[in-house]
Amino acid sequence: MTETEKETSTKTITKEVDEQSPESIVKEIEQSFSLISKTASSFDNRYITKVFRDLGPLRRKLTKPILVTIINKLYPDSHSNKQYLIEVLDGINSDSGETKMEIDHENNDDIEVDVDEDILIPEVELYVHLLVQVFLLDQNQLEKLNTLNDNIIQLMKLYNKRSLDFIEAKIWFYIARTKELLEDLHTIRTELLNSLRTATLRHDTETTSSIITLLLRNYLLTHDINQASNLVEKTIFPENASNALAARYYYYLARISAIQLDYSTAHEYVIAAIRKAPQTNLANGFIQSATKLSIIIELLTGDIPELKTFKKNEIGNYEPYFYVTKAVKLGDLNLFSKVVNQYEELFKKDDNFTLVLRLRQNVIKTGIRIISLSYSKISLKDICIKLHLDSEESTEYIVSKAIRDGVIEASINHQKGFMQSKELLDIYSTKLPQSEFDQRINFCLQLRNDSVKSMRYPSDNDNKSELNGKSDSKGDEIDLIRAIEDGDLDDFMD
Amino acid sequence: MALVSAAPYLALLGEEDANLKSFALTSLNDVVDQLWAEIANSISELEELYEDETFSSRSLAALIISKVYYNLGDFEASVKYSLNAGDEFNIEEHSQYIETIVSKSINLYNTLSQKKFLDSSITIDERLVGIFEKMLEKCIKAKELKLALGIALESYRIDVVERILNHEINVSEENAINLINYVLVCSNTVISNSDFKTQVLNLLIKLLLPLTKNQEFFTIIKIIVQLNDSQLASKLFKELVIKQEDLIAYQAAFDLVGAASQALLDNVINELSKDSDSNPNPITKKILTILSGVPTCDLDITFLYKNNNTDIAILNKTKNLLEGRSSIFHSAVTFANAFMHAGTTDDSFFRNNLEWLGRANNWSKFSATAALGVIHKGNLSQGRNILKPYLPGSSGAPHTKGGSLFALGLIFAGHGREIIEYLKNYIDEHGNSAGTNEGDVVLHGAALGAGVAGMASGSETLYDALKVVLYSDSAISGQAAALAMGLVMLGSGDESAIHDMLTYAQETQHENIIRGLAIGIALLNYSRQEKADSVIDELMSQESSILRYGGVFTISLAYAGTANNKAIKKLLHYAVSDPSDDVRRASVLGLGFLLIRDYTSTPQIVQLLSQSHNPHVRYGTALALGISCAGRAYAPAIEVLEPLTKDPVDFVRQGALIATSMILIQQNEVSYPKVKDFTKKLADTVKNKHEDALAKFGATLAQGIIDAGGRNVTINLENAQTNTLNIKAIVGLTVFVQSWYWFPLAHFLSLSFAPTAVVGITGDLKIPKFELNCHAKPELFQYPPKYEETKEKQPDKIATAVLSTTARAKTRAKKKQHLKEETEGKKDGSDSMEVDEDSKAVEEPVAATATAATATSTSTVKTEDEPSKEEKPASTEPSQVRYTKTPYKISNLSRVLPVQSTYLSFIKEDRFVPVRKFRGSSGIIVLQDTKPEESLELIKTVRQLNTTDAPVPEPFVLSDADIKELDDY
Repeated sequence: MTETEKETSTKTITKEVDEQSPESIVKEIEQSFSLISKTASSFDNRYITKVFRDLGPLRRKLTKPILVTIINKLYPDSHSNKQYLIEVLDGINSDSGETKMEIDHENNDDIEVDVDEDILIPEVELYVHLLVQVFLLDQNQLEKLNTLNDNIIQLMKLYNKRSLDFIEAKIWFYIARTKELLEDLHTIRTELLNSLRTATLRHDTETTSSIITLLLRNYLLTHDINQASNLVEKTIFPENASNALAARYYYYLARISAIQLDYSTAHEYVIAAIRKAPQTNLANGFIQSATKLSIIIELLTGDIPELKTFKKNEIGNYEPYFYVTKAVKLGDLNLFSKVVNQYEELFKKDDNFTLVLRLRQNVIKTGIRIISLSYSKISLKDICIKLHLDSEESTEYIVSKAIRDGVIEASINHQKGFMQSKELLDIYSTKLPQSEFDQRINFCLQLRNDSVKSMRYPSDNDNKSELNGKSDSKGDEIDLIRAIEDGDLDDFMD
Repeated sequence: MALVSAAPYLALLGEEDANLKSFALTSLNDVVDQLWAEIANSISELEELYEDETFSSRSLAALIISKVYYNLGDFEASVKYSLNAGDEFNIEEHSQYIETIVSKSINLYNTLSQKKFLDSSITIDERLVGIFEKMLEKCIKAKELKLALGIALESYRIDVVERILNHEINVSEENAINLINYVLVCSNTVISNSDFKTQVLNLLIKLLLPLTKNQEFFTIIKIIVQLNDSQLASKLFKELVIKQEDLIAYQAAFDLVGAASQALLDNVINELSKDSDSNPNPITKKILTILSGVPTCDLDITFLYKNNNTDIAILNKTKNLLEGRSSIFHSAVTFANAFMHAGTTDDSFFRNNLEWLGRANNWSKFSATAALGVIHKGNLSQGRNILKPYLPGSSGAPHTKGGSLFALGLIFAGHGREIIEYLKNYIDEHGNSAGTNEGDVVLHGAALGAGVAGMASGSETLYDALKVVLYSDSAISGQAAALAMGLVMLGSGDESAIHDMLTYAQETQHENIIRGLAIGIALLNYSRQEKADSVIDELMSQESSILRYGGVFTISLAYAGTANNKAIKKLLHYAVSDPSDDVRRASVLGLGFLLIRDYTSTPQIVQLLSQSHNPHVRYGTALALGISCAGRAYAPAIEVLEPLTKDPVDFVRQGALIATSMILIQQNEVSYPKVKDFTKKLADTVKNKHEDALAKFGATLAQGIIDAGGRNVTINLENAQTNTLNIKAIVGLTVFVQSWYWFPLAHFLSLSFAPTAVVGITGDLKIPKFELNCHAKPELFQYPPKYEETKEKQPDKIATAVLSTTARAKTRAKKKQHLKEETEGKKDGSDSMEVDEDSKAVEEPVAATATAATATSTSTVKTEDEPSKEEKPASTEPSQVRYTKTPYKISNLSRVLPVQSTYLSFIKEDRFVPVRKFRGSSGIIVLQDTKPEESLELIKTVRQLNTTDAPVPEPFVLSDADIKELDDY
């Protein structure tokens, strides 16, 4: 933990230094160009992972002049793509000021002489587009971004290269994000579906998985649960997709299953989502909403989440969920309706309101269970009073339903109007512990297998060449490994 | 706003009214790309609609179903329904769906069509054929003819190929010939079915022959070699003779000699001579001379003799280091000598080391005599005279006689017309003496000789003679006879022969004979591909591991050079699962033969096997690499071999050293820097006292191979001229690897050596002096530097060793004396002083010699360092050959490496112009003399040097000279 902190602190320091000189940022971007062209030439996608790892800090430093410089350097004047790129950047009043821009322009004239044609490979081109996208998004220039996106979509259709996989996945993310912010969710679906097909045909795993999650998000936002579940049923999420995407996918799956009343599967998915999510600050937002969902789902399955779930993360507002849990745990209907009323807005914002409303039944069930545990025999009227129910009849219905669902082990004496609890069973005489154990062991074995699979074993020959190779290539390798360990996290910052 | 759900339309599908349903389908077709996931839920309803034959929009339903399946990723179902969609499925549309489905359909059609070729009962959906043909039409219209031809070949549609080519011939012959060549290349590389391949080749011949404007005789020759059709060949030559295209005919004849089997040549000669009896045409006569193979051999040995660059120092050193009395080392040096001098006619090593030669006993003597055959290989005119003193009838030992008969065969390898009769007579006369000790050895040699000389002649009489020897059931002669039977009937697949051999193999008790027969059967099935499958299956199901061993070789030879996946799989399977080590070794080794053309993939395939726990598998790996990458200096192969040269098991090291030398043959330090380390390693292995005998044997052989044929030959498994496999070389390697069991068979490697020369000859088969341009750096192709004698400082070291021991003995003696003196009570200071001085005096020379030794060693180190320093910048990697604008000149009849040949060119407007357009090839090139009136400076061939007759008088008329010259041959 301290190490990563150190790292981030050094990063911020370098960032501050960089902020003084746009040239160095330009250089940094150019460095990432060279890394990207390495990906293209070596077919090793790890280099691009590294580029994306640096994208997070880089995007905070982006300014209009920098981008203009880069674009001018990259494209010859006659290039058609240059036009619209400059166009969308025009008219943005960047805080860095006009004077600097002019200087940059002057610089350009010097540099432009040695425009390197070779550098304009599709990978680099799309990466520049991505940078512009990110910049426009940060500047909140949604309309411009939207027009740019159309151009980018056309551009992406021109290329068919496996090394573009990662970049395209990212670009699609920002395209979908733009549409989402513009609240124009339907128009993008066709494009997404088309490119999903293309990506699957070309075995671009990263793009495929990215687009599947984007589509699911899109459907969920418009509450097209059926479409979403149709899509889930008919597509295969690539197995070797990156963890970040898998986490997101599981989160959406959990949401769909929860809405479709399949709580136990939903619970599995949401746990998987939380486990797969990167455990860093950047993913906080994701983990928070996943945790909230998991609390609700757990309550819906009839369990009470542990207390530490609420205290685990200092950041994030779990208060409403805490009170809901409390109400369910106590089986207190009054408290429940009070909490729901009080925090309605928050629940709606989290998109969990409908799910929370479903908890009413659970509150009652818990109440009955507590009563059945405390009393071996109690009259229905007393239950009615304790649970603040409307009438004795409805109490009878509710209790009989609870018995039928297996919430309590009891019987109702209809003539005399009381509920008789049965003797408690010895849980260890049943098969329950066994199956529980089995589940845990399976989980552990799965975990082990997964970790073995995810380890990379260098072959003998690689070792040899590494020994022979120069030291800087070794440093490269270490950087790459670090990049892989971190995963691409900046997606979670949104 | 776009449609969110397809539910309304899907609901319409349930309506009664057909119009409503059609409307629903039309609407669904529009949205299927977005809402397929939802529509997929009702796919069964759609399918029902499609099944309903009364429904009008059935095809539209099929299209929608196809699209849904496409989106679901089930392409097979999608193709099925797209075919049913009929006209709704628009092939011209530009969408990913159409493209994908069309490509899937073509794939499907290909597999079906290939199956149909084998089994005509299969019927292919006509609509599938429709799509296929539509796409072909599209290709043809777009002038993508190569693409169309490729697809047609892949799906075995010979009618389409014919149509396209015919059409093109009518338009432009130039283009058509290009396309024909393309089809020819494809037929070699792509088509795995030999029947279809024959069909294609026949078609090409049919198309090529009537071409009037651009006669492509050389392409025809290529095809003739592949078809093995003598009638076509003689027809071609007759036509050439009629057209008076004498030079082209000569070149074609040389090509044919270089690539075709002996049987084919024999047949052509017979047919041509039949005609020429009545009509003695000088051109026909000359063609016959060339086809006899005599000029080719003569030119080859002339080249090897003139350019002999053997480094005899290496051989001498190895001979001195290896004890002559041990027969394994004696044989090793014999083989190394034979390889180094193969074809050079230089047998001075034997003459200079008669005492060493005299130490050879029994079979080493056999090998030593046979080595003469290797050295004089191709010396057709002199061969018999040279061997006369040793041949039967002389007073020599039986081993010498046997060896000389084998030698005779080697000299006439592949051109054995003159000698086969002699050998056959010998076998006929003495065939019954098998079983007696002496007769056996001689018969062994005679049988081997007959096999090599009569290779691929298919001569029944010779085969029968050998069979007599075989049936006498003697281990020694029977083994050779069995092998020879295979060689004679090479590649014929003669069923009765296979049956005879297999039956006898199951009857006999002698393992040697079984092994001989097993390899013989393998040779019989050379290049038979799937036709050999039944034999392979039979052999592989045998209980005897030796027969399975033969089965594995049958796989490798039947599929040699095809890289057939099925065969590779089989071999890999046996390589890891057979209980016998021999079979496993052979099956890994066989991979080398399969991958001769795809040699780049060999290291990848065998890399894991090279780490096997089983040393036999590792040995096989080494040789597989050696065989497939022979003469190619392919770096990844060397990388895999390198750890094997340090293997803990002796014979693995042997294999690795031999294989490495096969790969690095003819390389120098500039073109492949590691060569230097490797030759040093070989020398060290030979020198090392603690090295195992087998590894030393391998190292010695490797020394011979890497400098083979006076450093002027390479191992060439593929004919560059005709793109066919070099049968002789492959057979040579196959039998060479049998030297694992029987050392004398190592001589067979000499069959694989091909001289790397450029030989330009004139129409009257003479070698003029002229020069060619080579557009590359000269140092890339130089001979490696000769071995330096400076390191020969060892006697010094030995001297010091002797000194120190004697010194120690002396001091010990002195000490004893001193002790004695002490016990005697004589305590004198001066005496002890003396002792001290003495020991010092003793030490001094030791130190002096030691420093001297270090000094010399440092000096040698320095001398070694100097050249390496110069080349340091280049020496990290094998330097790339680059085209240089300023060429350097090389003269006719000089060494040209295979890599180098692409950088060769004729000097513009020179006197001599090649008959065939020069595309950077080596070998024999027939030249057109543009200024025949000028005088010529000629290089004399070995044959001419050896004719002691009075020189032919100056010709009075040119045509007369021709005839007289012919009489010479």
